[in-house]
Amino acid sequence: MAEAVQGHGHDGQNSIFKIGINLTLACLLSGTIIAGTYSLTAPIAAQERVNLKNRAMKELVAEAQVFQPIQGKADWYAAQKEGKTIAYVVPAESKGYGGAIRMLAAVTPEGKMLDYKILAHNETPGLGDKAADPKFRQRFAGKAAKDMEVVKVPSDKNIQALTGATITSRAVTKGIREAVERVAEYTAQKK
Amino acid sequence: MKLWEIFYKGIFEQNPIFRLALSLCPALAVTSTVINSLGMGLSVMFVITANNVVVSIFRHWVNPKVRVPVYITSIATIVTLVQLVMEAYLPRLYSELGIYLALIVVFAIILARAEVFAAKNPVIPSFFDGLGMGAGFAGAMLLIGVIRELFGSGSIGGIQIFGAAYDPPLIMVLAPGGFLLMGLMLGAFNLLSEYQEKQKAANNNAVVMPTIGVQRSDG
Repeated sequence: MAEAVQGHGHDGQNSIFKIGINLTLACLLSGTIIAGTYSLTAPIAAQERVNLKNRAMKELVAEAQVFQPIQGKADWYAAQKEGKTIAYVVPAESKGYGGAIRMLAAVTPEGKMLDYKILAHNETPGLGDKAADPKFRQRFAGKAAKDMEVVKVPSDKNIQALTGATITSRAVTKGIREAVERVAEYTAQKK
Repeated sequence: MKLWEIFYKGIFEQNPIFRLALSLCPALAVTSTVINSLGMGLSVMFVITANNVVVSIFRHWVNPKVRVPVYITSIATIVTLVQLVMEAYLPRLYSELGIYLALIVVFAIILARAEVFAAKNPVIPSFFDGLGMGAGFAGAMLLIGVIRELFGSGSIGGIQIFGAAYDPPLIMVLAPGGFLLMGLMLGAFNLLSEYQEKQKAANNNAVVMPTIGVQRSDG
């Protein structure tokens, strides 16, 4: 009897059912561990994202005292100093070489670019990610939307492309130009 | 002593990148800066060690017919944990490594160590095997990263070394430069190990010759 059971047990070891149970248990264990960790780290990650955003806005408009959310415009903030709006911080997005590039752009009420910050990207390390360097960002400073065109040879009426990262340069410029245009439109309406 | 040998073989003799030529994709993709190389190297080191331990613990319960899916599940779980923790505590490195972090799941070297070593050995040797292989990988990544960033950007870890007058050859941060460098380094490592083997053979001959006929028990 015992022998027969053992013999069956050995055959059963490789049955589809046993194999399925084995795999299911492995996945169940894995899922439980991931879910447990996620429930612990998700709030911290969310908090970290908010912190990063506040720090990013402060970096963009250092003089601002408060960042007031703008009614009716999702994720738009007015950077205010002594009750006066000195800049608008708006989200900008564009499709780069490695997918979406998400940015935060600071634009003056006159529709001139101040600075931007890249929040998330998948550009080539060492090439496209240079779009976040001050050297490239300064090429936008003080420019209106019409002066933002990507070229290889620079002048003061356009944007010089990054070496080896023309697609990234174009994408960032397009995103920023659209953001500047939107702010210009918004401030024109307000007047 | 034996544990040290298990650990040490991953550093040089069976270095994942330079000797086994495994996991060359990340060695090419994220080594253009030192920080990224190191972040990636240490992440892989952690995953391979943790996975070796997990596989070794469960080695008697895993059905051999589904061992590969089970190992992959284990690797995927550990990588996801690394991602979640990194997103919460090291958000900057997390965004730098991007997609390559998730791709650790399919690194050949990790599955290879699970299959070749951890599935057949107890927990402690498996731990040292993973640690050694991981350290060999991280060290190789760091070496490639330092050379590529130094020549390609004139800096190490973002700190300028060569000064503003240095005009960096862009090829070093691009993929072709990575290929060239890795080819040269693989060649150098092969030469080095060939030389070492010759030395060893010469030494062995010198020792063995006079005592010919005596059975050598160590392989």
